[in-house]
Amino acid sequence: MEGAFDLAMLVHVLSWVLIAGGSFFILTGALGLMRMPDVYTRLHAVSVVDTLGAGLLLAGLMLQAGPTLIALKLAFIGILLFFTGPVASHALAQAALHAGIEPKLDEDRRAEAAGAQPSSLLQTVRAPKTPRRGKVKARHRQRRKNT
Amino acid sequence: MFIAGSLAVLVSLALAVIRAIRGPTVFDRLLAANLIGTLAILLLAVVGFLTKRPEWLDVALVYGLLNLIGTLAVLKYFRYGSLAHAPDDEGA
Repeated sequence: MEGAFDLAMLVHVLSWVLIAGGSFFILTGALGLMRMPDVYTRLHAVSVVDTLGAGLLLAGLMLQAGPTLIALKLAFIGILLFFTGPVASHALAQAALHAGIEPKLDEDRRAEAAGAQPSSLLQTVRAPKTPRRGKVKARHRQRRKNT
Repeated sequence: MFIAGSLAVLVSLALAVIRAIRGPTVFDRLLAANLIGTLAILLLAVVGFLTKRPEWLDVALVYGLLNLIGTLAVLKYFRYGSLAHAPDDEGA
């Protein structure tokens, strides 16, 4: 008898923890949507809500519902969000790229990566000496002047 | 507990609405609209538990299906300029 009471208490506390965690991740994602500087980074922040936030919240609600039809419906909602969130995110990123929106980069090294051989790229990564970086930056400046 | 969860969802909804109004590009607005749909589903679920009437879960399910279709339709419209034609000229 006492064991059953303990189990119910445990389930209650666990669902509490899950709902609190889900709320935290939902708030985090929404804050990221406000604070991030770019469409792609905002996409990255919002995917937290679709996966962790919704998953934890629905898991907590499922523990509250117990083994009933309501829990099954909650599981269906979770599965739906789990599959449709990435699809919508992918379509959005692809459409944004297709529309010509560039990601905000700290340092644009795409031309360098396209022009360099793989071995020299490896060297750049392996030897982060200051003169080398200075040379790279000078080359960037030169390229910017040329174009 | 359910009150705390629904409050978190409501605050996130407010932030998403602000982003949808302020967003510089149309894709920011679409992202915010998608998030608003997801949060509406979660809000329906949590408030259903809060008021002890979980029948709203059916509404949440249908809303989730419509949310995906709506987002994809608007994206297709902004990419091809039309919803009627097949995208065979773009090589998508």
